[in-house]
Amino acid sequence: MSNKVAIIAANGGLFDAYKVFNIATAAAASEKEVQIFFTFDGLNLIHKQAMHALEMPAGKEHLTEGFEKANVPTIPQLVEMAQELGVKFIACQMTMDVMGLTKEDFVDGIEVGGAVTFLEYAKDASPTLTF
Amino acid sequence: MNITKTLDAKGLACPMPIVKTKKAIDAIKSGEVLEVVVTDKGALNDIPAWAKSGGHTVLEQKTEEDVLYFYIQKA
Repeated sequence: MSNKVAIIAANGGLFDAYKVFNIATAAAASEKEVQIFFTFDGLNLIHKQAMHALEMPAGKEHLTEGFEKANVPTIPQLVEMAQELGVKFIACQMTMDVMGLTKEDFVDGIEVGGAVTFLEYAKDASPTLTF
Repeated sequence: MNITKTLDAKGLACPMPIVKTKKAIDAIKSGEVLEVVVTDKGALNDIPAWAKSGGHTVLEQKTEEDVLYFYIQKA
């Protein structure tokens, strides 16, 4: 059985962020090695400013109250927790170049890599998830 | 049963109960028992699944008025 979980975060909304970081922190807390490859809009999830203002899907804005009521942690809290648990963040170099972003635009401790970096890690990971 | 440590995770939503349980179990020794108290109903299945992943044993679990109690012996 593989002890590695590989996640691709390719979307940048609030719901996407919860899917990515809940699975990642739960896996890391279950003694799994976890790597997340952030690409395209997924880069929002670890962007120093954008991660504080991720958008709800259109028409779902009324759920803000539900999030508060359920006492769900914020995305910056989950990011910090994930890193504390050893989850490794890889930002996609190509997308960063397209968007004019540098490593300094993101939370500390990330690595920058290309598709091959992720593929090499994911080749014996189970499961590999895409959000 | 000798409880070494109690974790009060009431009111917390997924994935916090699991993350906090992991941290709490890291702080006790092998063979010692952690009591986890939660209100997140997802924990009903999540805590036993988490314990299994780390080889820990759920000695007992009970529900009292929407509060869940787990007694986990560290592997």
